[in-house]
Amino acid sequence: MNDIKKEPAKLNSVNDLRKTMDGYFGRLNEASLTGNKKIAWCTSVGPAEILYSMGFEVYFPENHGAMLGASKMADKYIPVAVAHGYSPDICSYLTTDIGAFLLNETPLQKSGFKSVPKPDILVYNTNQCKEVNDWFSFYARHFNVPILGIHTPLSLKELTPTIINNIAEQFKELIPELEKVSDQKFDIDKFRETVRLSHEGCVLWRKILETAKHKPSPINFFDSVIHMGPIVVMRGTQYAVDYYKILLAELEEKIKNNNSSIPNEQFRIYWDGMPLWYKLSSMSKLFANLDTCIVASTYCNSWIFDSLDPADPFMSSAYAYCALFIVRADDEKEKVLENLINDFSIDGIIYHDSKTCPRNSNNRFGLQTRLAVKTKIPYLEINGDLCDSRCYSEEQSIIAIETFIDQLAANA
Amino acid sequence: MHKVGIDLGSSYTKGVLVDTEGKIIDSYVVKTGFDFNKASQKIIDKFSESHKIEYPVYTCGYGREQLDLPTVTNSEITALAKAIYTMYKKNCSIIDIGGQDTKYVKITEAGIVEKFKVNRKCAAGTGSFLEEIAFRMDVPPSEFKEYAEQATDNIKINSYCTVFAVSEIIGLIKNGNKLPNIIHGIYNSIVDRCMEMSLIEHTLIITGGIPANHPMILTLFKKRYEDCVSPDQSQILAAWGCVLLNLNKTKS
Ligand code: SF4
Repeated sequence: MNDIKKEPAKLNSVNDLRKTMDGYFGRLNEASLTGNKKIAWCTSVGPAEILYSMGFEVYFPENHGAMLGASKMADKYIPVAVAHGYSPDICSYLTTDIGAFLLNETPLQKSGFKSVPKPDILVYNTNQCKEVNDWFSFYARHFNVPILGIHTPLSLKELTPTIINNIAEQFKELIPELEKVSDQKFDIDKFRETVRLSHEGCVLWRKILETAKHKPSPINFFDSVIHMGPIVVMRGTQYAVDYYKILLAELEEKIKNNNSSIPNEQFRIYWDGMPLWYKLSSMSKLFANLDTCIVASTYCNSWIFDSLDPADPFMSSAYAYCALFIVRADDEKEKVLENLINDFSIDGIIYHDSKTCPRNSNNRFGLQTRLAVKTKIPYLEINGDLCDSRCYSEEQSIIAIETFIDQLAANA
Repeated sequence: MHKVGIDLGSSYTKGVLVDTEGKIIDSYVVKTGFDFNKASQKIIDKFSESHKIEYPVYTCGYGREQLDLPTVTNSEITALAKAIYTMYKKNCSIIDIGGQDTKYVKITEAGIVEKFKVNRKCAAGTGSFLEEIAFRMDVPPSEFKEYAEQATDNIKINSYCTVFAVSEIIGLIKNGNKLPNIIHGIYNSIVDRCMEMSLIEHTLIITGGIPANHPMILTLFKKRYEDCVSPDQSQILAAWGCVLLNLNKTKS
């Protein structure tokens, strides 16, 4: 009651972020109103580069799901999808997004959209989960438009040539249908250029996340999940590159001046799993008041595709989109986490077991206990969900988080 | 001057009055109801009748931030661990069964929390599970003890979810199972839910309002894990731990 309330420092780049995102939605809206460009819907770690290279405006339903989650609207929309036969136990991005669509409601209406932009084609990659296939199929049926998919095998240990060749072939097989819908010939040089831009954006994004290696960190998880917008939706464009140059410069300046994100950083946490979109602001304050900075996360690291190479765009795309954390077997994930724990001087790990996203909850097959034995880094598991706030017990989780920080303090 | 620790639980608010050496002088437990301030004030008033109280008050539990009193808040898990370590001075595992949640805590030889877990969102294994079942069967929880002692069969109730457990119990009744055996089975189910929270090591210490009011639960824990004890007054330990955590800080 008598505690001093601390707030994390705000980043100035947020104004440029807003402009960059407004520009993106403006282009999408124009395409949807005027038809000046075709619109492709794409999964968040789907083949965005090839779509941008063929002149599509690209819309990402997951980004929309996160917007609905952050606007705390999911609890209204999920039951609508459930009433249409979707289980409340499956991906709550899917149920939230479809529920909102069935009511013809979207936060984009505030930015002048009549509804979500109508797709000319839907393209997914199952590298993240199978749910995206079902999700996009709903819209393919509804709009009666083509749907294309890259089917990536999951839980990969080694990325063998057989797997990578197969995925590269699947990338190529997208082309004829994309040419038909876009009315444009595929141009390998344009593809190389988007792959180059995507690579440049990813390298910048990696550098941004790596500024958090500095003690104290200039950025925390709750900033990163907002500032990752451009790398998700504008990967392969100059817009993302331009924005991340601004953000990186700000963070480097903060490091120079030793300006931290959390006023009195004492503990450094790794966050595994999805954000709880409806709790971003209260959680951000909770951690700031516990002098704790979440310096690294599986989630924000998921958009680093730095093996993309314009010299070999198909093979390197296939490799980059298979090398992703979520696609890998637990042994590989453990290695990645072990390195991050060292590189970011992590004191503790929090695993968010997200009820409706098993593929982004890495504490279900004993990884958390194996890693704790190996690294001696304590961990905490909290139960919740990305969008469905009914799966989250806030009081219980706050007590658990506070106790966890007490535990870290006692060990320090 | 005496210090006060208050643990604001979802069902009961527990208060302890502690002297400057950390010894418990008195304790008082009231129903929480919907007003945390009222519940806490009852405790303060009760202690003030006989002793002079020092502020701030040390709190933990669900409503710890909301009190209109000068408070220092604590985590109830850290507080419970502190109290247990003060009593036993050794490494141990704790299982605490409260009205809304079940907690597992492991403490090291040095008294540091090494690991802990709070149960999932459902009521299985908590006091609300018992209350719901008592309501459904129209048997007051206070009579459970008597019935369970007459059990002749070791029935298993498997459902995780309270609602499913109720249907399972209706099935058991339909199949002619006797009430004492069913109530014994309910206790068994609580103990099983707790035992699966983590691997138990060292002495297992059972705390919380539920085992305090239903001693058969301790007997059933002992059947599964021999080195198992439950301290007296285990319901008020987190409140006491709140004061203990701050004792040296305020002394200096
Ligand atoms: S990865 Fe999880 S959150 Fe993302 S689409 Fe798949 S199930 Fe939904």
